[in-house]
Amino acid sequence: MALFEARRVTKRFGGLTALHRVDFALEQGIASIIGPNGAGKTTLFNIFTGLYAADDGSVTFRGQPLLGLRPDQITALGICRTFQNIRLFSNMTAIENVLVGMNSRIALGLWDVLSHSRRFRRTESHLAARAIALLDRVGLQANANAVARSLPYGDRRRLELARALAPEPALLLLDEPTAGMTQGEAGTLMRLLRGLVADLGLAIILIEHNMRVVMEVSDRVTVLDHGEKIAEGSPREVQENVRVIEAYLGTRGAGPRGARRA
Amino acid sequence: MDVELLIGIFPQVLLDGIILGFMYALIALGYTMVYGVLEFINFAHSEIFIVGAFVGVEVMLGLKSVGLLEGLPWPVVLILVLLAGMAGSGLLAVAVERVAYRPLRNAPRLIPLISAIGISFFLQDMIRLFESLWRNAFNLVYPTLDVLNLRFELTETMDVSVKSLVVIVGALLMLWALHLIVNRTKVGTAIRAVAEDQAAASLMGIDVNRIISLTFLIGGAMGGAAGVLFGVQYGLINPYSGFIPGLKAFTAAVLGGIGNIPGAMVGGLVLGLLEAFAASYLSLLTGGAFGAEYKDILAFSLLILILIFRPKGLLGEVVRERA
Amino acid sequence: MIQVPLSVGVVAVSALAVAMFPRSVLVFLLFQGSLLFVYRARIPERLRWSLLAAALLVLMPVIGYFNSYYLEVATQVGIFVALALGLNIVVGLAGLLDLGYVAFFAVGAYSWAIFGSPHANIILRGGFPLAGWWFYVFLLVGLAVAATTGILLGLPVLRLHGDYLAIVTLGFGEVIRVLANNLDKPINFTNGPKGITPISRPPTPFGLPYGEYFYFLALLIVVAVVIVNRRLEDSHIGRAWEAIREDEVAARAMGVPLVRMKLMAFACGASFAGVMGVLFSAKQVFINPESFTFLESIGVLAMVILGGMGSIPGAVVGATVVTVLNLQVLKGFSLWLNELKNAGVTVLGYSLADLPTQFEPAKYERMVFGVILVLMMIFRPQGIFPARRRQRELGG
Repeated sequence: MALFEARRVTKRFGGLTALHRVDFALEQGIASIIGPNGAGKTTLFNIFTGLYAADDGSVTFRGQPLLGLRPDQITALGICRTFQNIRLFSNMTAIENVLVGMNSRIALGLWDVLSHSRRFRRTESHLAARAIALLDRVGLQANANAVARSLPYGDRRRLELARALAPEPALLLLDEPTAGMTQGEAGTLMRLLRGLVADLGLAIILIEHNMRVVMEVSDRVTVLDHGEKIAEGSPREVQENVRVIEAYLGTRGAGPRGARRA
Repeated sequence: MDVELLIGIFPQVLLDGIILGFMYALIALGYTMVYGVLEFINFAHSEIFIVGAFVGVEVMLGLKSVGLLEGLPWPVVLILVLLAGMAGSGLLAVAVERVAYRPLRNAPRLIPLISAIGISFFLQDMIRLFESLWRNAFNLVYPTLDVLNLRFELTETMDVSVKSLVVIVGALLMLWALHLIVNRTKVGTAIRAVAEDQAAASLMGIDVNRIISLTFLIGGAMGGAAGVLFGVQYGLINPYSGFIPGLKAFTAAVLGGIGNIPGAMVGGLVLGLLEAFAASYLSLLTGGAFGAEYKDILAFSLLILILIFRPKGLLGEVVRERA
Repeated sequence: MIQVPLSVGVVAVSALAVAMFPRSVLVFLLFQGSLLFVYRARIPERLRWSLLAAALLVLMPVIGYFNSYYLEVATQVGIFVALALGLNIVVGLAGLLDLGYVAFFAVGAYSWAIFGSPHANIILRGGFPLAGWWFYVFLLVGLAVAATTGILLGLPVLRLHGDYLAIVTLGFGEVIRVLANNLDKPINFTNGPKGITPISRPPTPFGLPYGEYFYFLALLIVVAVVIVNRRLEDSHIGRAWEAIREDEVAARAMGVPLVRMKLMAFACGASFAGVMGVLFSAKQVFINPESFTFLESIGVLAMVILGGMGSIPGAVVGATVVTVLNLQVLKGFSLWLNELKNAGVTVLGYSLADLPTQFEPAKYERMVFGVILVLMMIFRPQGIFPARRRQRELGG
């Protein structure tokens, strides 16, 4: 049984079919989903995380069906994500952003909070320590008390990653994590992701446009076009796939390497 | 239960409902036009409406004091009063937008709404302040023109007064004029373009600020006309009597699909009829247990139910998704 | 460190001034200002809280002894501070604009009014009013009933957001008011516009007069509410509320159970209003629907906005300023104007005696609320005491 498995996922918006019978599976490591803009990649993420309801198909995580669950339930099961256009809690500090992410791991009742019970104080200090550790991991420890809105762009991306790690997910969905980064910054981020996979045994699904990153870091690559899966395999296999080349560049041309921003 | 009575009053109730409905429709247009363009609930529209009624009563009292109220032919008086009310409310709406909404156009959504609530309260007491200082009274009564109170007996149980006819004819004229402006003129096209996509409209060379001002002017003028007709029909006005009709008219706008101009008319009529029937029949049908006062609860419950279950309204205007 | 003697001095001087001019509104305002000064001054925490405690626990009742009206004002301020703190949770923290908040205050007030007066005999059989000590039980009953009402009202409406939620809560507030006005038939629950009276008061400890008693009780409840508010704010619950306010979609994706947290915000906010409603009905002895109008809801909103959404000191200061404006400044201005009128004073050749009789400055609450809302939104949407982010100790 795969860790994460989607079968025949279909989603329609009015008359438009955004996803058509998409299959996807992940056991471990890093899988990338690529495809031209509008191919349905983010829609797939939104279905995986419960923000959209699928019209058909099934999604399972550790054998448990996800469709029909609320986003917070899915997060509690161990799947968390980032957003393409960074959605931080802008007026909260970096550490508070991370702490919100730990919400589903907190088993305190209203009474603990109101009475400031020992359990509450212990939990809070434990959470704060963990949040600092996570910020440290992405290199933001010094900015823990900075309001998210005031952070520079690259830091906001990394903060969103730290926040997504806060619920202790087993599967991380990253929506274009290197968008707007220099090649150097992107490289650092990818080493970080590799480290997460190695240290924590995390599985990661990546939506990415930066082909160098995709080819370097992915164990498997899935290609979507117009809501359908057109190819799947190792980075090399996908790179040489004729349909993929057509989807990216029309009928002629080189591999997707040349198409950093399709 | 007296079935004959129930049937007997039916035509009169229907007529009352239609009059009320046209009133709501006229006010609802102000809400719906502004919402269509800015996706913003102009909470102060209820006061813009009642200001129309006050401008109207001031003009009438002014004419009366110089003896022209009886001196001029009554249709001229009515048209004068109507135009004055429209001008007053329209200009006020433009000023309110300029002062209290425009600086907040890019702020989070709740900010301009709270500002609008503030304007609504501010205007209520401004009217009161003005009338207290000017007339030493803020509950004002529309001067009567004898001809307006003439009643025609249509059937044995139904009659209609001239002022009711004035309300219906006036409302129909306004709605027709609005229809022409929005659908047949360049300005109307520009308004629709701005409602569709502000950024694109401004790229096409449309002065978005001017069009938004115009939208407030037209919506405000419709509200002002409704205010005058309200005064003519019901007689007594005070600075706070705009609030409940305003809320009802907003309900009508939502009922018809907010942002949708024909929807506002349909919604207004449906709500007006519903209320008239509730007011007349509820007490009769429940043996007096629930009186006419419950018509307000009915209207507000309707508002709540529509917003929850069918936020696009009866005519199903698309309400754009927003965070 | 100059601020230490300054703080002590300000409180002492203002207390002395009150002792000398117990009827002067300006002096009473000075006294309130001194509290604010002490709250903001850079002095040791212990001194700050001792001064504030001394002023509120000793000086204020002494002032009230000489002029009971001020004690009434202070009690009203206390009631509104609790309401503002409750609404602050809903609007300031969770970002849900509730325009019908006063409905929860009404629910609390009516729950004691009905059972704490002979009125309940009409609904149930005999044995009412309940004995005075039941009042204390009803403080909790009012809390529970208001919180339950919050959840019941919240359930259907919480999937709406933004301005639609605002309008729906306004509709609910109006429905509750119309019900209170009309539920005198078929069964007489509320006695309609005539209201309910006489409502029992609890026996007071140490033979305290009722003015002092309700002042201390309101103060006690306010302190409790502030503590509860702070603890909620500094917990995962408060963080979840703020996350919802900042970005609902992201909050859900990070594991925040949206409906449950929103309902909790509604229930917590409502419960403060419920408790104060019970106190209010006992204090007033008489209540009717007039006290629970849209105007009151907007008044509480104006307090929250003025102080600063999401800010506890803001809500306290906002509630104080607005209540004092309405109860003292407007009324004081009215009285002063009348005195001038009667004395036949003329301003720039205009005799004040010619002022229209309908011009009553005391009646312009709405203008006060309106001006506050508009000016704050345009010039300072974060309020006069903006919510400050908690800075955490790092490296621990």
